[in-house]
Amino acid sequence: MLAVIILVPNYIINKKSRFVISNKSKIVLFGHSHPECAFNDTLINSLKNLSHSAEPYFYTYQKVKMVLLQNPQIETVLIEFTNNQIDAKMDEWTWGYKYMSSMFPKYTPFMDRADIGLLVKNNPKDFMNCLSVSTRTNLTRLLTSNYEFTNVIGGYLRINNSQTNSTADSSTTPPIKITTERLSFVNLHYLQKIIVYCAVRGKRVFLVRSPQHRSYEYLKNEDEFLRIRQKMFSSVEFLDFNKFPIADDGFADFGHLNYKGASKFSNWFNIMLNSGLLNTDKKQFLINQGISAVIANDKTVSLALQSFAAHQLDFRLSYAKARTY
Amino acid sequence: MLFNSLSFALFLPVVFVLYWFVAGKSLKYQNVLLLCASYFFYACWDWRFLFLLVFSTLLDYVTGIKMSGAGSAKARKFWFWLSVIVNLGFLGVFKYFNFFAASMAIAMANIGLHVNPWTLKVILPVGISFYTFHGLSYVIDIYKNRIKAERNFIDYSLFVSFFPLLVAGPIERATHLLPQVKKVRTFDYYMAADGLRQILWGLFKKAVIADQCSEFANVIFANSSGYTGSTLVLGALFFTFQIYCDFSGYSDMALGIARLFGIDLLRNFAFPYFSRDIAEFWRRWHISLSSWFRDYLYIPLGGSKGGTWTKVRNTFIIFLVSGFWHGANWTFITWGLLNALYIMPLIIFNKNRVNLQIVAQGRALPSLWEFFQILLTFSLTVFAWIFFRATSMSHAFSYIGRIFSKSLFTVPQFDASRVMVFETVILIIVFIIIEWSGRESQYAIASLARFKRKSYRYAFYFSLILMIYLFMGREQQFIYFQF
Repeated sequence: MLAVIILVPNYIINKKSRFVISNKSKIVLFGHSHPECAFNDTLINSLKNLSHSAEPYFYTYQKVKMVLLQNPQIETVLIEFTNNQIDAKMDEWTWGYKYMSSMFPKYTPFMDRADIGLLVKNNPKDFMNCLSVSTRTNLTRLLTSNYEFTNVIGGYLRINNSQTNSTADSSTTPPIKITTERLSFVNLHYLQKIIVYCAVRGKRVFLVRSPQHRSYEYLKNEDEFLRIRQKMFSSVEFLDFNKFPIADDGFADFGHLNYKGASKFSNWFNIMLNSGLLNTDKKQFLINQGISAVIANDKTVSLALQSFAAHQLDFRLSYAKARTY
Repeated sequence: MLFNSLSFALFLPVVFVLYWFVAGKSLKYQNVLLLCASYFFYACWDWRFLFLLVFSTLLDYVTGIKMSGAGSAKARKFWFWLSVIVNLGFLGVFKYFNFFAASMAIAMANIGLHVNPWTLKVILPVGISFYTFHGLSYVIDIYKNRIKAERNFIDYSLFVSFFPLLVAGPIERATHLLPQVKKVRTFDYYMAADGLRQILWGLFKKAVIADQCSEFANVIFANSSGYTGSTLVLGALFFTFQIYCDFSGYSDMALGIARLFGIDLLRNFAFPYFSRDIAEFWRRWHISLSSWFRDYLYIPLGGSKGGTWTKVRNTFIIFLVSGFWHGANWTFITWGLLNALYIMPLIIFNKNRVNLQIVAQGRALPSLWEFFQILLTFSLTVFAWIFFRATSMSHAFSYIGRIFSKSLFTVPQFDASRVMVFETVILIIVFIIIEWSGRESQYAIASLARFKRKSYRYAFYFSLILMIYLFMGREQQFIYFQF
């Protein structure tokens, strides 16, 4: 009887759930809080930000499956891949009680046996409680006929304040050296699963890295991060915006942009997209050019962006010309 | 291995099946199996402390036999005190040494002498207070010629280590449990069914009420300096229900599990929050410990025979010791003394045995006066629990100080989902109603056995299981395991 109470709502919700986004959104972005705060999708044409705070790839995978299934108009999938996502901390995000109890109930109906098995194996003690919360959540959805998931799966998060100045001042003492001694193989495995799933559905996939403050603690594992990217994800193009110039007051903290920073970055990113960033062969080269243009004209960002757009046009023309020869 | 854990859910059926279907025909095999299962259960906590348990058992077993066979009163006394000193010595080292060392250092600092206390980095062996008291009661009973020494080591070891009571009681007496251990046990369907029912009720109390309340109580007590008086009152109330449902839930499960094996353990709780005065509360709360102190401390000290002053002195002593038994911290001692103060007027005016009957017996509701008495007793208890739960005396005083401020008359607010708080409050109300309606039975839902229609019974069981599943809190360790 208990099994019925657990499984039937799961089945119904799986069938009736709605993950539908606007038809105009051809590009979707997934990830954790870094892209959630960096990509203001109201400023970026045809992009829908579906990132969610503290979301490891395990839960993103469940979301990706449903979003792609119900939104055939999506052509391109951007997935945040940044320094902290290789760290064993992501295991805690996957099955630690604090995170599992909020994420698992949301995505239970879309998980398969292997997914459930992973959680049971790694945190059997808290799994039962999370399963109970999940059943309650599902029953509530059934009783209220609420099958809408679009409003709970993520989106741009606006943060107005900035704590970077004060923390940067106080960080004159040498920061604690954080190195990734242990990798989260589960997180990396699920990133691979996401990439494979997107490929099977014929979507273009890019890994992206949002801007981070130079003092961001996880940048310490940069060598390891680049090694992993090269070793495991070399077949997927990587768009690195890490060094996009944002002043301290554009950061909410070292890992997250605030509204000011996100606006600057998103406007620039929008121009980059409109300039055909995703269609050129040398994407990172273009990104670096774009970043240089912003740095050169940082005092008047809008002018810089305009000049960059013009430059891009020139560049594309000359690039096309060069290819013709 | 917690009673409400998955591992125990596997362990119990295995032992049950082996006990009745493999070892069922021989009492000796049954006892050996239960002893092995008990040692395995204990080793799951920390196998190193199994040696301590076996040593303590062996000590009391040997001293018991030596006392029985002693040719002189002097020799008898020697073996008795050897057992008492070694038992209390272990308890002192593992549980109280650091407390005394730290307290001594503070006292020295107050007179200007600064010393670094030499503390032991030891983990408290789980259940040490419980099995030490088991052993002590056995040795004292032999010394006082109430019982004869047990010659069968397996039977005696099982009396000390029987897994349902090993880590958090009830504190058994040799006079009650040993005869059951030595008696042939055959499977009794009604007893086993009653045991399962009691386990179910205990599980509901622990997994739903206690574990839900603990999440809120922990948040409020941990951040008490930032909350309003009304929120702190709510925190104290959550803890009041947490500790009762945690401990009585454990006891219900222990009693129910023992009944599955054909053994009756001592009742530990009798609806204490429906008590009309503090004396009645202490007759209904942790009964096995209260009666232990009564029989082995209060009465030997003279009990209530020597006039009012003796009664007052002895009452203070047992509450002081009771507080200290709970833990090496001034908060527990204060909690004990506060309860002694509460009970003092009843002792002085000889009113401590007024409310011996079950409240509102044969009636659906209490009278207005009874309701007021219950409310007053409950409020005093809630207040005392603040000391029990606080991490230090200063924490307790600041907590109480914030309660008695203007913010007492505001709407409680703390970092938790309102829906979850509301759910928990509703569950507590449901729980109180069920407890009230079952207060004339051994445990709240014992009277369900009298329902003739099976369908009603099964509907209730299923609802309870469903509630346990849907509203279980995060699995928490039983509070009394630390004692």
